[in-house]
Amino acid sequence: LGRCCGSCSLMYMVAVCSGVPIGDLLERAAQHSDKLYSLSTTLTHDLDSHFPPMGRMIMPRPSACHTSSLQTPGDKEQALQVSESELLSLARSLLQAWADPLVVLSSSANTLPHPAQSKIINKIHELQEHSKNLGDGLNIISGKMDPTAQTISSLPYRGGNDVGQDKLSKLIKFQFLLSCFRRDSHKIDSFLKVLRCRAAKTQPHLC
Amino acid sequence: MRNVQELTWLLLLVLTPRTKGGLSRPGKPTLTSCRSPEKETFTCWWQPASDGGLPTTYALYYRKENSEIMYECPDYFTGGENSCFFNKNNTSIWVNYNITVVATNRLGSTFSDSVDVDVVYIVQPNPPENVSLSVMEDKGWPFLRVAWAPPRKADTRSGWITLIYELRIRSEGENEWETHVAGQQKLFNIFSLRSGGLYLVQVRCKPDHGFWSDWSSPSQIRFPEYFHQEKSAWIVTTAVCAFIFLIITWLLHMNHGSLKHCLLPPVPGPKIKGFDEQLLKKGKSEDIFNALVVSDFPMSWSSSSNSEDLLVELLEVYIPEERENMLGASKDLGGGSFKLESSTSDSDSGRGSCDSRTLLIEKCGRPKEHEDSAEERVEREDWEDARVDTGGRTWPSVFPGLPDRPQRSLSDGLSQVLGPSEGQVCKQIKARSDINIAVSGHKESPARWSVEYVGVQTVVNDDMVILQPWGSREGCTPLHSLQERDYSQVKQVGSDDTLLLLQKVSEGTADGREAGNMSQKSATCMNSTTATGGYVDAAAAFPMTTY
Repeated sequence: LGRCCGSCSLMYMVAVCSGVPIGDLLERAAQHSDKLYSLSTTLTHDLDSHFPPMGRMIMPRPSACHTSSLQTPGDKEQALQVSESELLSLARSLLQAWADPLVVLSSSANTLPHPAQSKIINKIHELQEHSKNLGDGLNIISGKMDPTAQTISSLPYRGGNDVGQDKLSKLIKFQFLLSCFRRDSHKIDSFLKVLRCRAAKTQPHLC
Repeated sequence: MRNVQELTWLLLLVLTPRTKGGLSRPGKPTLTSCRSPEKETFTCWWQPASDGGLPTTYALYYRKENSEIMYECPDYFTGGENSCFFNKNNTSIWVNYNITVVATNRLGSTFSDSVDVDVVYIVQPNPPENVSLSVMEDKGWPFLRVAWAPPRKADTRSGWITLIYELRIRSEGENEWETHVAGQQKLFNIFSLRSGGLYLVQVRCKPDHGFWSDWSSPSQIRFPEYFHQEKSAWIVTTAVCAFIFLIITWLLHMNHGSLKHCLLPPVPGPKIKGFDEQLLKKGKSEDIFNALVVSDFPMSWSSSSNSEDLLVELLEVYIPEERENMLGASKDLGGGSFKLESSTSDSDSGRGSCDSRTLLIEKCGRPKEHEDSAEERVEREDWEDARVDTGGRTWPSVFPGLPDRPQRSLSDGLSQVLGPSEGQVCKQIKARSDINIAVSGHKESPARWSVEYVGVQTVVNDDMVILQPWGSREGCTPLHSLQERDYSQVKQVGSDDTLLLLQKVSEGTADGREAGNMSQKSATCMNSTTATGGYVDAAAAFPMTTY
């Protein structure tokens, strides 16, 4: 019990120590990550529709994302060799790393010079909501796994609290951050779906 | 870094020799598409432009996102012509590939636009495999089960790729496909297919984040004939319906008459008793009404005496069943029941007309005045006074209810007496005179309802009876309780038409004298009535209201 509720709040303790199977928890987590990725995809497509061609030239490479320093498996072979707790740790680290940038995106979305601004604002709020829910869920799951799952790599965001002053720089910063998030959410989703299938060996019809 | 590379390419372009004699450098090739079927490998295709009239070679170069090294395509053959296949070792995910195609001939090289590709965003699986169709049966009803396998290359077991499926079906000869979403499951049941139809089924799949695969090659199945089950059910249903229809038809035919009578009842004919339709057709209204009246009954009265005599025709002579029963049993009770009996028939107009004192005095009392005793004469003077008091209100209450009861009781009573008894019988005919309470306002006591009884002594012939007051002969069992009342005695038989009654007055009360007076008159009425045949029909009573 001590291990299981070591670093969790009271709410997690109740959930962790109750008898919900980890397979069900991972199933639920995978649904959240799936939604998270879908939202980020539609958001990047929304922004792309009014993105100036010049912006693509100037936009930083994906390697410039603040999470790119995190070593993640680069193909299926590597991914399947990673342990469950390590995969969960990676997913949690990535999610944790996006807490601050999502706040920046959310607070600056109302100044975005884009025709679909209100739509984008709503989606970013939704993104934050799902991200937070998924983070809570992953914390509970990590409590049921071995200690490696508890470790979170620190990936500080150093992009500042605003997205720039002029129109173009705002659009480029937004697009860049969202493209980074899209990739990371895809990673999170892939890791969780691999975890789900490993936990659901008793239900072969799912995988 | 990237700018430096672009500059290098630009320099190469500039240094390329220009066209010589219609020959030229190749046209600019175009990268058309890249696709990963299973998130592990991928292939890119390009479209060549003009070759410039010279043999042209194409090369694909790629550079990974976090690397400065440029690589050439490892496999130009697996993906077919103008394609490059990246095997597992050369494929990384979550990494951008910057890809460029270079067309080169003797006169120089042309570079395509570079394309950035992340393998995770270009996943489009192969179609599902091993699509199998089988006809299953559930409780006698067949259905089609479609089963399939995920594409061989896609590793769905490890969860590296997650596929959802969709299938479509159409019957041969139709163009419209019917689509069903199967989700992650790898089999699907289709119900309600046409018996004996030929069906085509296709399945496709899509990764959780990616593009739909092509449809699998159509699988074909002929759905079995299961119509025999349906047909037999139809035959049974039809047979039952036909049988029911036949029965209903037969019943309708059998009951044709009664049904017609029920639906269209006949118009009822005239129901007036004695009404002769033939006379009506002849149009003689007088004859019709004459026919309605009992033959010459009213005529004889109107000829012999005043027309108002009609009102005095009704004398009630009857023996109530209760009375008969009571005679032997209980005398007290018998008396009580009589009181009750007489009080219930209060406003009977038929009787009232006979009982009416004014009428009695005027029409019946006068001829016998000389025979009355002095006491009675004095009493009549009182009566005259009473008539003055009440006369105006007497008649309205006489007619309203002219029911059949007095007539019935009269005829019943006479038939009982005159029929089988023949003289020796000691039954009592009660000549009862009910005095209408409403007539005389100054006498309100129920005791005024005097009831008088006479016994039949002998029946002289068919038309005459000799009455004897009962209680005066030992042959009859008298009702002692009723002896307090006044009774009439037959004084003499005056003529064929009259029977003289003598009142036997025991007490000198006004009630008794009045009753006696009336009974005298009532006897007369009765005799007259019996002399004419005895039967008074309701139709005969009806015209009286016209007077």
